Amino acid sequence: MANKHVNVIIVGAGAGGGVIAKELAVNGLSVILFERGEWPVYDKNANDELISQRIQELGNAFGPDWKRNPRVLISPDGKRTTITPANGGYNHNAACVGSGTVSYGGMAWRFMPEDFKLKSIYGHVEGSSLEDWPVTYDDLEPYYEKAEWEIGVSGDETNPFAGPRNRPYPMPAFEYNREARHLSETCKKMGLHPFPIPMLRNSIPYNGRPRCIRNRTCVGFACPVDAKNGTQNTVIPVAMKTGNCEVKTGCMVANIIIDEKGRARGVEYFDSKGNGKTQTADMVVVAGAATETARLLLNSKSKLHPNGAGNNNDWVGRNLQGHVYTGATGLFDFDILDLTGPGATMAICDFNHHNPGLVGGGMLCTEFFQLPYAFTGNRPSGSARWGKEHKDYQRKYYYRSARLHGPVQEIPNFDSRITVDPTVKDYWGIPVAAMSGGRHPLDRDNCIFLSSKAVEILKEAGAVQVWPRGIPGKVSYSPSGGQHQAGTCRMGNDPKTSVVNPFGQIHEIENLFVADGSVLVTNGGFNPVLTIMAIAYRTGEYIVKNFNSIKSS
Amino acid sequence: MQYNRRNFLKHLGFIYGSLLLYSSCNGNQKSGYRIFTKEEASCLIALCEQIIPADEDPGATDAGVINFIDKQTTLRFPDDEAIFKNGIVALQAFCKEKHNCLFEQLSSVEQVSIMKDMERNKLPGEYWQKANQASFFNLVLRRTMQGFYGSPRHGGNKDYVSYRMMKLDYPLLIGQNRYKDGK
Repeated sequence: MANKHVNVIIVGAGAGGGVIAKELAVNGLSVILFERGEWPVYDKNANDELISQRIQELGNAFGPDWKRNPRVLISPDGKRTTITPANGGYNHNAACVGSGTVSYGGMAWRFMPEDFKLKSIYGHVEGSSLEDWPVTYDDLEPYYEKAEWEIGVSGDETNPFAGPRNRPYPMPAFEYNREARHLSETCKKMGLHPFPIPMLRNSIPYNGRPRCIRNRTCVGFACPVDAKNGTQNTVIPVAMKTGNCEVKTGCMVANIIIDEKGRARGVEYFDSKGNGKTQTADMVVVAGAATETARLLLNSKSKLHPNGAGNNNDWVGRNLQGHVYTGATGLFDFDILDLTGPGATMAICDFNHHNPGLVGGGMLCTEFFQLPYAFTGNRPSGSARWGKEHKDYQRKYYYRSARLHGPVQEIPNFDSRITVDPTVKDYWGIPVAAMSGGRHPLDRDNCIFLSSKAVEILKEAGAVQVWPRGIPGKVSYSPSGGQHQAGTCRMGNDPKTSVVNPFGQIHEIENLFVADGSVLVTNGGFNPVLTIMAIAYRTGEYIVKNFNSIKSS
Repeated sequence: MQYNRRNFLKHLGFIYGSLLLYSSCNGNQKSGYRIFTKEEASCLIALCEQIIPADEDPGATDAGVINFIDKQTTLRFPDDEAIFKNGIVALQAFCKEKHNCLFEQLSSVEQVSIMKDMERNKLPGEYWQKANQASFFNLVLRRTMQGFYGSPRHGGNKDYVSYRMMKLDYPLLIGQNRYKDGK
């Protein structure tokens, strides 16, 4: 029996897909939200360091299935390696309802006004596809606010570098823990501007759920008390409550059906039992994150779009970005950690922009706590990897090490990209994503600069030993991406040099939209999730306003 | 120990699990391990113990790291079985020829010296035709760390020894921050 026709299909129930589903459903459109994973269950891998989103030594807490979802990594010399989520370079995001918003640490950054116009500020960068966004901070400001209030953000207004805001955060900022209290005093003495990190976590009871208990397992884990705010416990339940939104879990969408006239008619997918099925709709929104979204579009070939949906100008899958994390670790001769979770509480934005000789920069913040296994890898180079010396280090420094680091704004380039592998297929027989290309050399300069600032601060804070981390080698050339993957369906006004318009609508296919990190032109020096949510709110509003005209055109 | 319902169910599950294992697994019943013989296990235990030696706090042996490796190799990493077995054969062949005894019978100083060579691929190559010594060493190192520091539910970290050493409460929920025995 054929599935009932609906207004809109959304592929992917993460940050973008969840927000869109809610926006459409509450405005009376019928929606099917496809998710390849399942609803997250806390008890399945409760607080298990070896099966978390950060460490997948013994498995993968939120999916995707290791065996069913290979990808291919292409080295600079063209060598193809098939990899799983357990391998580095997979661009592993949680595959479950809520996706990364279940397992993230929940940093709720608005990009800075400068982040939307890098090319205007810094000029053309050789070897890059650096461009301004077609939207500004002011265009997005109301949608940032909506995300902060509907999904729930704790924070204050003490960051002097933040863009202007019309409304305060709905919840007060989290109190600093011990290392943030110490390091913020140091920063102030140095003339820097520390402030509490805005977080998608409840500092007070909010939206019918409790306040954060500040346990040390947060990033990489689901929340034991549901005080972390993702789409799975906010907007998706709201969408479902309207009766207009059905969430279909365990369903793998294989391709978007594009008809002879170049319009999206629905999707072909495999249900949770592996049966191939068809779902038709008036409109399709793709929100599978930068890797899977590009793969799905590229796998959706049709008469007018022989190279994939929206790809007649060869821009789908290009400009893949993520974040190099750089900074420094310091050892102290006193206990600096108190394990008041989740760890990261303080940041500075003094080095995001206007650094002499650099393009962009990045935020620096304290780090989420490491559990003992992760800590075994946290050593200055040349330290003993095993034996009594190693064990002594574990005991001596677990509470006496602090890290200051942050994501460097990557310079996009055309050859950092997702393609579809010609031979490797997944469990369902769908060609898999292949990652290739590398980062722009300027990213290394930014890392050297930002980590040197982290070193300075930690030394000033009294660290007895400090070492920088996260500086790529001069010849390091590996694909970008990771959990902060972005950029593969660039937003722009010119159909020749972008995939979607400023509202996420694919230039070439009027009733096909993208609503995830793929549309980001540049990725900021920040965790991108709040920006993805804000853009999804804006795209959702546009779809609701224009649904009838797009449908009947 | 008081048998409340929760403990009872837990133990029932444990016994049931063990029975299943015995009937369904053609492992080495004599050694008590799933994939290792008693001899192989002795060698591996000695290696793990050098990686995390007992001192004022328990070491890899006390934490049951061998049980973790045995269990996880069976459940999740069947390809590692050959690496472990070939590595042990190569190491023992070297020890027998050079020192006229098994690795686990050597003094601690000698064991450490051999392991440092193994880590840097510096043991004589003729013994390592079927196994790469550094890969073998790194696998033992990695699994030892996981078995010692990971959750007890995976077969190692017996009695939460590493969490106690690191002064971490367990489990992590406020109001439940205690070990089973209340210590």
